Amino acid sequence: MRRKLSYLILLIFLVTILSSSGCSSSSGTLVVLSGSENEALEPIIQKFEKQSGIKVEMKYKGSVDIMLELENSTTDFDAVWPANSLWVSIGDKKRVVKHLKSIMTSPVVFGIRKSLAGELGFIGTDVSVKDILNAITAKKLSFMMTSATQSNSGASAYIGFLYALLDNTENITKEDLRKPELKLQLQKLFSGINRSSASSGWLKDLFLQGSYDAMVNYESIIIETNKELIKKGKEPLYVVYPHDGLVLSDSPLGYVNRGDAKKQEMFKRLQEYLLSEKVQEEISALGRRTGLGGIISKTDPNVFNPDWGIDSKKLLSPIKLPSPDVIEEALNLYQTAFKKPSYAIYCLDFSGSMSGEGEKKLKEAMTMILNQDIAKKYLLHSSAEDVVAVIPFSDKIFDIWEVRGNDPQQFKELLERINSLSPQGATDIYSPVIEALSKLDAQNLDNYIPSIVLMTDGKSNTGKSFYNLKASWSGINKDIPVFSIMFGSADAKQLEEIASLTRARVFDGKHNLVDAFKKARGYN
Amino acid sequence: MNKKIIGIVILLIIVLSATAIYYLQGGGVEQVTLKGLVGGEKIGFLEDPQVKKILKAKYGITIDYSKAGSLDMIKEEGENDFLFPSSQIALEIFKASKAQKIVKSAVIINSPIVFYSWDIVVNALEKEGVVTRKDKTLYVSNFQKLTDMIMEGKKWNDIGIGEFGKNKSVTVISTDPTRSNSGNMFTALLAGILNDGVIDNSNVEAIIPKLKQFYSKQGFLQNSSSDLFNQYLITGPGANPIIAGYESQIIEYSRENPKAWQTIKDKVRILYPVPTVWSAHPVIVLKPSASKLIAALEDKDIQKIAWEKHGFRTGVAGIDNDISVVPVEGLPERIDNVMALPTPEVMQRIIQALETR
Repeated sequence: MRRKLSYLILLIFLVTILSSSGCSSSSGTLVVLSGSENEALEPIIQKFEKQSGIKVEMKYKGSVDIMLELENSTTDFDAVWPANSLWVSIGDKKRVVKHLKSIMTSPVVFGIRKSLAGELGFIGTDVSVKDILNAITAKKLSFMMTSATQSNSGASAYIGFLYALLDNTENITKEDLRKPELKLQLQKLFSGINRSSASSGWLKDLFLQGSYDAMVNYESIIIETNKELIKKGKEPLYVVYPHDGLVLSDSPLGYVNRGDAKKQEMFKRLQEYLLSEKVQEEISALGRRTGLGGIISKTDPNVFNPDWGIDSKKLLSPIKLPSPDVIEEALNLYQTAFKKPSYAIYCLDFSGSMSGEGEKKLKEAMTMILNQDIAKKYLLHSSAEDVVAVIPFSDKIFDIWEVRGNDPQQFKELLERINSLSPQGATDIYSPVIEALSKLDAQNLDNYIPSIVLMTDGKSNTGKSFYNLKASWSGINKDIPVFSIMFGSADAKQLEEIASLTRARVFDGKHNLVDAFKKARGYN
Repeated sequence: MNKKIIGIVILLIIVLSATAIYYLQGGGVEQVTLKGLVGGEKIGFLEDPQVKKILKAKYGITIDYSKAGSLDMIKEEGENDFLFPSSQIALEIFKASKAQKIVKSAVIINSPIVFYSWDIVVNALEKEGVVTRKDKTLYVSNFQKLTDMIMEGKKWNDIGIGEFGKNKSVTVISTDPTRSNSGNMFTALLAGILNDGVIDNSNVEAIIPKLKQFYSKQGFLQNSSSDLFNQYLITGPGANPIIAGYESQIIEYSRENPKAWQTIKDKVRILYPVPTVWSAHPVIVLKPSASKLIAALEDKDIQKIAWEKHGFRTGVAGIDNDISVVPVEGLPERIDNVMALPTPEVMQRIIQALETR
């Protein structure tokens, strides 16, 4: 009896000790909203998961999206990891972000084919934004760059251009942005853009698929690109740091506080892991700058390769960023006045299977793109020079509608036309795309960033074939991407085939069609 | 029989260890959990396991805090037992409007506003006569000249620092003065220098345009002193040639990151503006149950930890801060030349003016 009692006390005692010493299990999932440039860090994250038993789900988003998610305080993420702390400062209006710490840095640079960089006289010398502008004006240089309103690398480069073209004014003001000569110079500069994207990671993939001359991207991504180029026996890119408009991304990882102590503990373990000496070295081996004082510690010359123009000893002197209200105004002006105009043709599937939910979602998605008040929330609104065309189709093309510029009335009429459609018939995805290609071929594409967005919910089972499309695309021989949005029972293979031919990508809209349209619009 | 003895022995062990744990966890004194709002820069200090242990074992106090900005917490004190802001001004403002709510208040710890800079920058500033060295400490002895250089738009290149390009202007980068205490304190200091004396109601309007001019050149400002300090350390002289911060930051950093500190300490420079201002950290007790918190935080051992590990100078008379125990060189034994802060009313006028910069 007494024995039983003492064992019972022992049991109670042990339970008390165990429960009070915080010996809780560390399993659980930490959802991180992250910039696409962090994809290269996946193996490091996986190692952490193995060691800690904590699952880390990386959700890749553009910086502007991360900013918007913070503003709207959606609750399906625990941490943010954008490319620049700027986006947290602007987005974190409710002050929920804690423990924000920079994990690594990388400057936004021009990567230019080395022989071309040599011809342009950019090797071994300080290059200014004006030097680059001169090369573009002389038609000696064209480049790829992400959208300044969708991606941090694009935004950083753009703000750098603003500084340089305003002759390094101490700080950009809203009045500065209205200077007519600034607009002219920016338009000239952006006229050199041949392809765009909403993601710096995808821009690299695109670069590797084609034969392009240059791109604006992070130094780290240029390093990744060069490793691939060398593997393929191709010429590497030479890194040019525009000295009068250099912007550094500081990759801050911050916890989004919703009062969950366990999540916070998980977050801190991840952050400490990433900042530990050993992992910092691993991150450095991936071409990210680590270490203190703006000097890269322990550089590997195969990564920070001097032959690629990378000088790890040179002090980087980035510009001071303007205040948030000026940045917001600058992004708005980029979208409506400065950027190279886009010519986007939407081929929309109105075959019989779309009726019901599909039709509803499609109309909702087009409202988001065409209603400028809604589009503006996502910095996806149109400029006075942009063109949007819509080709509704099933087994035949219903019609072709086009709006030039950003007159709300015209968009309203276009929307009314779309809304009056009802689904019917079988599916031929190739005919409308071929139609769109020939329409774009008839334009002077020096003035536009062209793109086609094909949305479909089914397998193409009648009419033209991929071979017709291929013949048409090759015949035109212009760099026109055909993006696809997959819905319902669309055939991924058919769409991937088109994407790979035209160096574009497929967006999965099966779970969220509106979101897929939003993403695709960022690439127009 | 044997089993019985074992049983008794186990029971004895349990009773003894339970008693020991009870006392270790502060069971000897009456236990209380105090809720409070705390400025972010003191979280490392309050989270320090040694500090927690002393508070619990010796004083029976467990602190349950939420982080809040100094100016925010005095506006919205909520159902808290105490507030722990980062400035005397916050206390004064609170006193002015809600004096009846204060049970007791006392300054617990202090930290002067300092500038953090880099070897190449300070070498040039020494040549310009802006900075002078006394023993191992670097003083901004000609603060007036530095503000003149800033207001005139002098470039770093003009004083021989070519590494930053031709167009980078001389400046001191602070946090947002309308949102963060360290930026706010720096502004008070800057206003005093521009005015050649503490500003008051009679001259604040004359100084506001100059402050606006200063901040109009600043662009994007960080909201928190720790974010700015981290950026300074990581991005280096090219991005952050001089920043304003608390003296405590570098000491806490060197203690928490001893290895990283070794790699950078030869390049980092701490500058003491002459004069400077104190950032005082008062505890404002709102409920009688929290009264003993002041005595507890004034505990000699806690004050020692506050200095040696977190860099806060003591706010208690009769305690000295030994600079030789801290792994940072160039700290002065005492902060001698200190400017008084403007009245809360004047500071609020400045903040309001800068909100529309």
